[in-house]
Amino acid sequence: MDDTLNISGLSDDEEHLTSSQVLQQLEEIWMNERLSPNLMVCRSDITDCILEQIQEMEENISKAQKNELKVSLHQLEVDRIRYMLSSYLRCRLEKIEKYASSLIKEAADGDQSRLSPEEYTFARELTSGVEAHLMSSALRLMPKNLQSLNLQEYAPSLDRYVFLRVNSPEEGVIVDEETDQNNGDKIDFEVGAQHIMRYKPIEHFVESGVVSLL
Amino acid sequence: MEHSELEFSAEKQKLKIVPNFSMDKIYFISGDVGPFKAGLPIDVPLWLAISLRQRQKCVIHPPDWLNVATLQEIKESEMAAELFTKLPNEHFREISQLLLTHAKHNMHHADAIRTLVKDIWDIRAAKLRSSIDKFVHVQASHARIDNITRMEINLARPFLLDSLNHLHSLRRSKSL
Repeated sequence: MDDTLNISGLSDDEEHLTSSQVLQQLEEIWMNERLSPNLMVCRSDITDCILEQIQEMEENISKAQKNELKVSLHQLEVDRIRYMLSSYLRCRLEKIEKYASSLIKEAADGDQSRLSPEEYTFARELTSGVEAHLMSSALRLMPKNLQSLNLQEYAPSLDRYVFLRVNSPEEGVIVDEETDQNNGDKIDFEVGAQHIMRYKPIEHFVESGVVSLL
Repeated sequence: MEHSELEFSAEKQKLKIVPNFSMDKIYFISGDVGPFKAGLPIDVPLWLAISLRQRQKCVIHPPDWLNVATLQEIKESEMAAELFTKLPNEHFREISQLLLTHAKHNMHHADAIRTLVKDIWDIRAAKLRSSIDKFVHVQASHARIDNITRMEINLARPFLLDSLNHLHSLRRSKSL
């Protein structure tokens, strides 16, 4: 029984992270993804690793006796992790559906880290499907000069405000480069401090883990 | 964010339980727990504690801040301070709520605790409202919000962010 459910041997994977550390990372990217206006960079390294562990655990559970306390606790944990993982992936999917065209354009322009290959295929098929549908059901009946379709306009607004907490110090962060009254307003990030500000100036800090969204 | 998601995230925090059974170490994906010895206190994540409690398999020891005396102190300093004080736990509301629901009988003066938690919450919510009012009034584009918990942010998020986004687009169209 002990041996079948022992997963501590997984700590020697390539990155030398323990499964609990990977789980913490998953929670971090889950929260950030739920709270950021834009689609975050795809982290299939984390999701794949977690999925593998869940599957291994589920295999062990199916082999073990159902009515034992230990087994049901393991099942409970797997359910919790699965919930978090699905919520994360669902959240990404929602954003991809919403901003498919502009994400594809971004990928075509060179930045391909945001979408995983599968997500890219999904976004491309969705966009061509929507375009074909709009064309066949409505646009073709319109006058020629009104037939152009620009789905790329639906881009995420990076001007939205977010709440954040600072994880590692950073000096001279520009708060607002656009509005005239706060021209070049700068602040320093202290560890543990919490701020409310626009997403755009701090987007790269969220990706690099300098700040977490709240 | 849903409140339930924050509750979910709070459930990973550890606290002490006294199990009434013995069991070997469990190797969870989120880390090892155990071994369990009947009658000996042990640290476990909150979700595990609640699950064991529901099966009548343990007694939960509330965290050291969740008692009448400490909460009374927190309430007084919260009332005296102009800014937000630092709460003993960043999931203050979620954890007290969960424990008051699932481990009420393991706590002394649960009803007094419930009232104090609610009082502290109300004082902070009032502060939150007045500082939001101030923030929107001066049209700042940035604010520092130390010591506000995720739950409180979640409460303010929908209307605060929407109004800030509107203000931002209005400001921008003015400056164009």
